[in-house]
Amino acid sequence: MITVESVAAFRAGVRVLEDVSLNVPAGTVTTLVGPSGSGKSTLLRCLNGLETLAAGSVEIAGHRLTAGPQSPRRLELLRRDVGMVFQQFNLFPHLSVLDNVALPPRVIRQMPAAEARAQAQTLLERVGLAHLADVRPTALSGGQQQRVAIARSLAMEPRVMLFDEPTSALDPAMSGEVLEVILGLARAGQTMVVVTHDHSFARRVATQVAELVAGRVVRQGTAAEVL
Amino acid sequence: MSWDSLGKGGRWAVGLLLAVALLLAGAVAAGSVAAAELEEVVARGELIWAADQEGGGPHVFLDPKNPSQLTGFEVELAELLAAELGVKARFQQGQWDRLPLLLGRTADCVINGIELTPGRQRDYRCSRPYFAYALQLVARRDAPLTSFERLESLGPHGRWRVGVLTGSAAEILMRGRAGLEVDVVGYDGTVDCLEQVTTGVLDATVLDDCIASFYADRFPRLRAVDRPQAGGFYTILTPPDTPHLSAKIDEALGRLLTDGRLKQLYDSWDLAGRQQVLLLRDADEIPPAPRDSWGHLLRSALPLLLSAAGMTVLLSAASFPLAILIGLAVAIGRLYGPPLLRPLLAGYVEVLRGTPLMLQLYALFFLLPKIGLALPALAAAIIGLALNYSAYESEIYRAGLKAVPGGQFEAALALGMTKWQALRHVIVPQAVRIVMPPVTSDFIALFKDTSVCSAITVIELTKRYSVLALSTGRIVELAVVTALLYLAMSWPMALVSRWLERRLERTGAARQP
Ligand SMILES: Nc1ncnc2c1ncn2[C@@H]1O[C@H](COP(=O)(O)OP(=O)(O)OP(=O)(O)O)[C@@H](O)[C@H]1O
Ligand SMILES: [Mg+2]
Repeated sequence: MITVESVAAFRAGVRVLEDVSLNVPAGTVTTLVGPSGSGKSTLLRCLNGLETLAAGSVEIAGHRLTAGPQSPRRLELLRRDVGMVFQQFNLFPHLSVLDNVALPPRVIRQMPAAEARAQAQTLLERVGLAHLADVRPTALSGGQQQRVAIARSLAMEPRVMLFDEPTSALDPAMSGEVLEVILGLARAGQTMVVVTHDHSFARRVATQVAELVAGRVVRQGTAAEVL
Repeated sequence: MSWDSLGKGGRWAVGLLLAVALLLAGAVAAGSVAAAELEEVVARGELIWAADQEGGGPHVFLDPKNPSQLTGFEVELAELLAAELGVKARFQQGQWDRLPLLLGRTADCVINGIELTPGRQRDYRCSRPYFAYALQLVARRDAPLTSFERLESLGPHGRWRVGVLTGSAAEILMRGRAGLEVDVVGYDGTVDCLEQVTTGVLDATVLDDCIASFYADRFPRLRAVDRPQAGGFYTILTPPDTPHLSAKIDEALGRLLTDGRLKQLYDSWDLAGRQQVLLLRDADEIPPAPRDSWGHLLRSALPLLLSAAGMTVLLSAASFPLAILIGLAVAIGRLYGPPLLRPLLAGYVEVLRGTPLMLQLYALFFLLPKIGLALPALAAAIIGLALNYSAYESEIYRAGLKAVPGGQFEAALALGMTKWQALRHVIVPQAVRIVMPPVTSDFIALFKDTSVCSAITVIELTKRYSVLALSTGRIVELAVVTALLYLAMSWPMALVSRWLERRLERTGAARQP
């Protein structure tokens, strides 16, 4: 489902990824671990074209990225098949919880509003938040917000989901509910890449673990082998 | 109740009430200021006379050969008169239709082609006549307007559009004469009228015959149509409470008339001096008009003020949404548009912010027709206001767009939205909420700026007030009515802005489930 080949990337003129290769088979979960600043977020962003590749290539969900700037159209099509969940949730504060989830298919796929809202209601049930559909996201706890963000990504029915430290902005009490949702997705066979510092969670969810240090993959294998 | 607890709308209303009170106090105080009487003029050693150099020749204008020098037959007359009083003459600039307001404040007298009318006899001291004028119709040489009577039937494009100097005898003639198929348009200068006839915005203008012949060379495409119509005399205005000064001016005029110096002056300006002097010798005084009763005044003035208030509302309501749309487009273009476009848009904003609204309106209305693009005054006013305010709105929106956290744009892109979808559904709606308070206060600023449009012949509330106040002499009473009308319009606006702010707070703040 994902093939990363010899990828290099720069941020602000500094090389932060060097010769990274990685293979994620369909229906499996890969977790990225490594010290702060090692390039985990950058690699994740390379997977959906938020960062430009300096070298190498990425194949993901049937789309292909090569080095250098890519056409906006190509990136849009890729991102519709690759969901991303951010550390800071980034929900749209001017829309209700339900509309946050209904907006993407309505705008991007021109789905009729009624259908988009019905689908959003189902997704909110799936993350356990159906009762908060009409509330503004700012009124929710961090854990609830992150679950809405997951539902919003799922609304595009992505073939791959990317998570960048989905619980590190949450206190431990709230992390659990988010991790449960992610585990549920894993059990349902969703292909995922999850950046995390939480080794015990990595052990529970990962088919494969890759460790980055200073922009290179230094170890790769099962959770038991790497952690 | 504290100042803050009043809320923005409340403060605005209180501010307006204060302004009304100040205006009243000012007007009352102005009435009681003693006008400069003869003794004061003599002691000062200067006779300060007011005129409008924009009014043009041959009265008072800048010498084309030496543009720092004021010239005209009235400049020379003022010097002769001052010499008769044993003092020097000093010029005071003012807008023509408001020159009488300067009396007793910054000017001792007004000498500027002021026609002797019953209304002026009632409100000021009018000197004996010093010049005889007649009103001349002027049109383009190729126009089908061949006689004054032709104005009594429709022209090729419907009603004739005829420009006049606001507040002049020409305006009174054209508005008062029954049976004319004419739309009368008031201007602040006679040269503007001639320009607009040349460019085809106006069909014709009516002005004093001496002005028409003075500018005949400069406007070769125009011609005088028919014989001059009704005429009258120019008078020198002094404040009502200056019997000695006005008597002295009458005496001085008498001497200039009898000893031939006035004839000499008019001859040197090609103003048919002998004929002038003969006419002036047996000029009769015009009796003062009776003062309208308060009730009658209100009945006749209120409909005019109300329709002018309607114009003020129309100008703001039509131009502000346009300004917002253009401003938003410019802001988006500068932040997200093609890199080549960005400096152009930055230039657009700087040009419009760096030049006065008045100049922009003037360019739209008076200069565009010269390249063949004649806009109706109302359209020019709305477009001018919209363009001018679009520059300010674009800066507000630019700040608002930048204030939306970067993660929002990234999240929208990560979902697969195009740049424009992300702007339309995620970024702009949030920016609009952020900028709501500054944008509402800009609307109130624009509402007040509509009065500038009177410079391009659009009659809104402030202009209508000043015309009415000067023609009826009821300066204070009409000021109160006008202020109340402004209040009646701004009050709902303040309420709407408060309502918007409350709504904003609700959607911005956390709402409990
Ligand atoms: N926006 C940016 N501009 C410039 N440099 C950046 C930016 N974001 C990250 N970097 C740099 O790129 C390198 C890799 O950062 P990245 O965020 O990918 O690391 P990370 O492994 O995700 O770290 P963390 O665990 O702290 O999130 C770091 O040296 C970081 O300083
Ligand atoms: Mg990171």
